[in-house]
Amino acid sequence: MKKPGGQSINFRDNARQALQNPTLRRAMRHATETFRNKRNDAIDGIPFEEWREQASELRKSIIGNINGYVDEFAVNATKRGAIVHRAKTAADARDLITAILKDNGAKSIVKSKSMVTEEIHLNKCLADLGFRVIETDLGEYIIQIAGETPSHIIVPAIHRSKEQIGQLFCEKLGCDFSDDPAVLTDTARKLLRQEFLSADAAISGANCYIANTGSIVLFTNEGNGRMVTTLPPLHIVVTSIEKALPSIDDLPLLMRLLPRSATGQVLTSYLSIISGQRMAYSTMDTKRLHIVLLDNGRSEIARGPYWEMLKCIKCGACMNVCPVYGMIGGHAYASTYPGPMGVILSTLLNGLENAHPLLDATTLCGACAEACPVKVPLLKLLYELREMRVAKGYNNTLEGVSMRGFGIAAKNAHIFRTGQASAGALWPLAGILSPVTVNRLPKPVKRTFRRRFS
Amino acid sequence: MRNEELIRIFMENASKVAAKPIRVEGSNKLNDILDEILANETSVYCPAKTELEKSVIIDVERRVEALENATSSVEEVVAGIAETGSIVVSSANGRALQTSLLPTYHVALLSADNIFASLDEFFKIMGNDLPTNVTFITGPSRTADIELTLTIGVHGPEKVSILVI
Ligand code: SF4
Repeated sequence: MKKPGGQSINFRDNARQALQNPTLRRAMRHATETFRNKRNDAIDGIPFEEWREQASELRKSIIGNINGYVDEFAVNATKRGAIVHRAKTAADARDLITAILKDNGAKSIVKSKSMVTEEIHLNKCLADLGFRVIETDLGEYIIQIAGETPSHIIVPAIHRSKEQIGQLFCEKLGCDFSDDPAVLTDTARKLLRQEFLSADAAISGANCYIANTGSIVLFTNEGNGRMVTTLPPLHIVVTSIEKALPSIDDLPLLMRLLPRSATGQVLTSYLSIISGQRMAYSTMDTKRLHIVLLDNGRSEIARGPYWEMLKCIKCGACMNVCPVYGMIGGHAYASTYPGPMGVILSTLLNGLENAHPLLDATTLCGACAEACPVKVPLLKLLYELREMRVAKGYNNTLEGVSMRGFGIAAKNAHIFRTGQASAGALWPLAGILSPVTVNRLPKPVKRTFRRRFS
Repeated sequence: MRNEELIRIFMENASKVAAKPIRVEGSNKLNDILDEILANETSVYCPAKTELEKSVIIDVERRVEALENATSSVEEVVAGIAETGSIVVSSANGRALQTSLLPTYHVALLSADNIFASLDEFFKIMGNDLPTNVTFITGPSRTADIELTLTIGVHGPEKVSILVI
């Protein structure tokens, strides 16, 4: 079928290649299994359903008034001495950040993990301009020295085995080979300590920002996030507009849901609430805090039919339960955000024209939607976008016929359930797998998640 | 909730996240316990700002004034949260957040009166006028970035003891 133009992601070839990589397959199987078990243990014995209902309602009301919260936050953060910037596009954000660094004479930068900076391809831009940028989250550090991009939004180097990481450290850092995670972690600790103490500036993300106090909030485990936000004389926070919480009183709910869903922890080792600019460590110079709020199409998504995707709190739970992600890993998606949320968000951010092949990255089993702590209706959004893809003529005719059937079924809850039960017929990824692989794929659920829980 | 019950839940949950809570009965016992747990430490930093910190005795050979040179630190923390087993530090009154960050061993002094049952209760007391930095510490620093194998002690402390006084 002729495409209306534009270069689209070659998802099928990427997935095929990933499936032929036994190391990757092993790493992904181990990782997603471990994650699923931890998360299931963490939500055992707590009123998870009640909390996710509350969180879902809260996130819904936020997305409905997103620019209101951006304004309120900007006023309050400014009162506290922060300098707030709004970036309409990725290019605007890069220009703003570069200008802030130049104005402050900063050359070396330590970074803590931020998916929004991945979205705007900040590292490449800064490196091209001659800045020295060091990622300090262990996973980000590993992929930075490997020259890769994250393959998971929470654990960026999840696709690599400890032997591969040992070899990488050996080659790039000149240390002795070890495949002991504790030894490798210690190597990184020693090398990075100096970087924290000598950097001119820090760039971090934020898990959320609080409108009524002007605060930004960071959930971290390693302590690198605390280092970068308290040591260098300049701190630039880069985050996106949908990460608002109206009030500091809303934070406990997020504190209860995010770590449990992300890593199975009751709370991350560190949770920092940063409100305004601070005093310097050991001198009394006031330090500067800049906050860049990225829109990059989100205001428009918030107004459109797929606004529910913006409820996402970026916990990664949906990728950990996704049978497709669990087999191919994050790189096959060739976009910043992988897994079920990534398929949808990438399609919304980058356009159907570019991202439509990603809509094949699903078994339509619905496990993602069942895992989501803020009830993003991932399955519904996947169906709707796939329907849109058919309507715009981006895919094969067979699905076109099935999808037209779906369009009718989706309007009726009962038929929708029946349709889901036979989702095996619409199992898009199966077509690109060899017969051997297909036999080893988890079969589409016989009893759907929806039915088991209702 | 009764205070003793709150302390018990706090200590139980702090243990679950790999912190080491120790109950100190009577403030005269504080220095005995500190001597014991800091026996192998060569350099100890203590800000000596609060009353509790001022009561801490560290011999001159081991006491360091610069935080960067300390392998361990002793400081009073502002709160404990029973629900999560967390302790809370803050930048209020010019306190350095790095006391709980740079040394490999962090010893927190927590007054039992400052233990809150839940996160909500703590935030209610905090109000909206927050200090520049409020940080919840839940166990030692950790990572699972390599094959999801838990490794304790990355950039922050690898050991956290909480003396509940
Ligand atoms: S869509 Fe839901 S499960 Fe997936 S990352 Fe977002 S919040 Fe987590």
